[in-house]
Amino acid sequence: MPVSKEYIIKRTFSLIGVVFGATIITFIITRVVPTRPELLWAGPHATLEQIERAREILHLNDPIYVQLGYYLRDLLTGNWGVSWRTKSPVLPGILSALPATLELIIVAFIIAMAIGIPLGIVAALKRGTVIDHVLRVVTVIGASAPVFWLALISQLIFSSWLGVLPSAKRINELLVIETGFHPITGFYLIDSLIQGNIPAFTDALRHIILPAIVLSFYPMCLSARMTRALMIEVLNEWHVRSALAWGLPKRIVLYKYALKNVIAPVVASLGLSFGYTIIGAFMVELVFVWPGIGMYAAMSLLSFDYPAVVGCVLFIAIFYTLINTVVDIIHAIIDPRVKL
Amino acid sequence: MSFEEARLIFKLIRVNPISMTGLIIVTAFVVMGLLAPYITPYPEDAWGLTYNIEKRYLPPSLEHPFGTDEMGRDVFSRVILGARFSLLISVGVVGLALLIGIPIGLVAGYLGGRAGTLLMRITDMFLAFPPLLLAIALAATLGRGLVNVIIALAISWWPWYSRLVYVQVNSIKNLPYVDAAKIIGLSPFKIMVRHVLPNALTPVTVQAALDMGSAILEAAGLSFLGVGVKPPTPEWGLLVSEGWATINIAWWSSLFPGLAILVTVIGFNLLADAVREAMDPRLRKAIVMRRL
Repeated sequence: MPVSKEYIIKRTFSLIGVVFGATIITFIITRVVPTRPELLWAGPHATLEQIERAREILHLNDPIYVQLGYYLRDLLTGNWGVSWRTKSPVLPGILSALPATLELIIVAFIIAMAIGIPLGIVAALKRGTVIDHVLRVVTVIGASAPVFWLALISQLIFSSWLGVLPSAKRINELLVIETGFHPITGFYLIDSLIQGNIPAFTDALRHIILPAIVLSFYPMCLSARMTRALMIEVLNEWHVRSALAWGLPKRIVLYKYALKNVIAPVVASLGLSFGYTIIGAFMVELVFVWPGIGMYAAMSLLSFDYPAVVGCVLFIAIFYTLINTVVDIIHAIIDPRVKL
Repeated sequence: MSFEEARLIFKLIRVNPISMTGLIIVTAFVVMGLLAPYITPYPEDAWGLTYNIEKRYLPPSLEHPFGTDEMGRDVFSRVILGARFSLLISVGVVGLALLIGIPIGLVAGYLGGRAGTLLMRITDMFLAFPPLLLAIALAATLGRGLVNVIIALAISWWPWYSRLVYVQVNSIKNLPYVDAAKIIGLSPFKIMVRHVLPNALTPVTVQAALDMGSAILEAAGLSFLGVGVKPPTPEWGLLVSEGWATINIAWWSSLFPGLAILVTVIGFNLLADAVREAMDPRLRKAIVMRRL
């Protein structure tokens, strides 16, 4: 067990510090940078009365440190403001959209690993061949393509032109009524399986495939690239070369001795690409009308719904920090080479 | 980076067709950005000032290679002029980020101690946000516009550079020549700026130049989410987003601007790979032995 208790405690403290820092930055951006924050918080069509109320709610008549105190108290008590687009509190809105986004991201990461890692291995084994070059081109495209454009174009091709996959939403509303599907966890793939509702499951699967593949493109290329580089390195190491020299079957050497050294760092780097992926989800969800946090944030941005935007930013920053910490700790547990 | 080193890197790029493709794309992009207003076939369309009702939704043809959009504007002209805005944004973002990041990294690295730690902690706070998220928050606060996009992206961007400079300065500041400068009584400011900074600058400026591709990508993302440049600016991300509404009638008005982003960013990424390989001494040896 390479992870000491002290390390986890230390990471938890630094996590709290970073989250605190992120809230301070959000406070500065939203309350100090704008010349009249109350105008942003009341929305573009606010009446004088509403603006005056926004001033009161934000405590703008108090000194700045008192404002910060109120701000932190509101955050901790879950009072994240009211979205003027949906007219409902921001935090519950975000939380109710969370499962949809998590489901999309998890499926995307599964696709990324299931395709990216084998591709990387193949590229490493067939180094310098046509396959390797083609894969290199594909991975460069993956790192360079604007995700919103990929989403638009794939939606155009597969939904509008070929008509093979649905273009929007998580599930067919009609099917929901017909089969009596109802969400329990909010993860539709799991919910439909629990209820033994196979038509709903297939339908949810058909809806998730296209957005998940688009979202997985970047992490897939990232993992393929990393797997290739690490695999080439590992194949040159003494323990692998001597295992081959001893005449062990190539398959066993590859999957038992070489791959073991590759998987952990690749998975860790995928975890760190989570931040990129969640912003990608903003755009993918917007294009595919996927009712997750990304769409909530994107709709708020497009309608200048300031409290909701700020809430999303803060929520994702906290979530992102949390994920990074967890990934680091898990990486340290599964990879004995990581020194803490 | 010495002149010799730059020449070697260029040599390594020239012998590799993939790296060369990157160099050509980037050069073409910069030239297009500089000359854009003079080479667009329909300049009024490019600036988005026209409304040609009789030429709406024309598919790609010789006259309009990328077709026309819902306002009857030539998409090709708009994409070409878009190169100028993408160039402007990427240079602006990277330049401003360097302007903030380098001094902070330099001071933090050279002074060290409590002050240095505090500066780096502040830097870490900014890194707590996923890339682009902070820029989204700032852009939403500042409002749409070219300058605001540059400011928003630069503020989410500089921590990377101050980290890089910090690491460099840390490894330089204990070298004998810095001690010598201290002994002859130069002021810390002079040592930092005149003697430490020049040696710490190369990696960060090279990195920054190559980051321009990512800056283009992120600025396009901001535009797509409605917090980027103002319409009718022909910024590539905004063009894709404007074409989205009519994508089932005129797919070309979204496809081609996106393709322009893709190709340009690929160019920067290929070049970045090549330069990184060339600057890594281990790899450099291997490449020289294989190719030259």
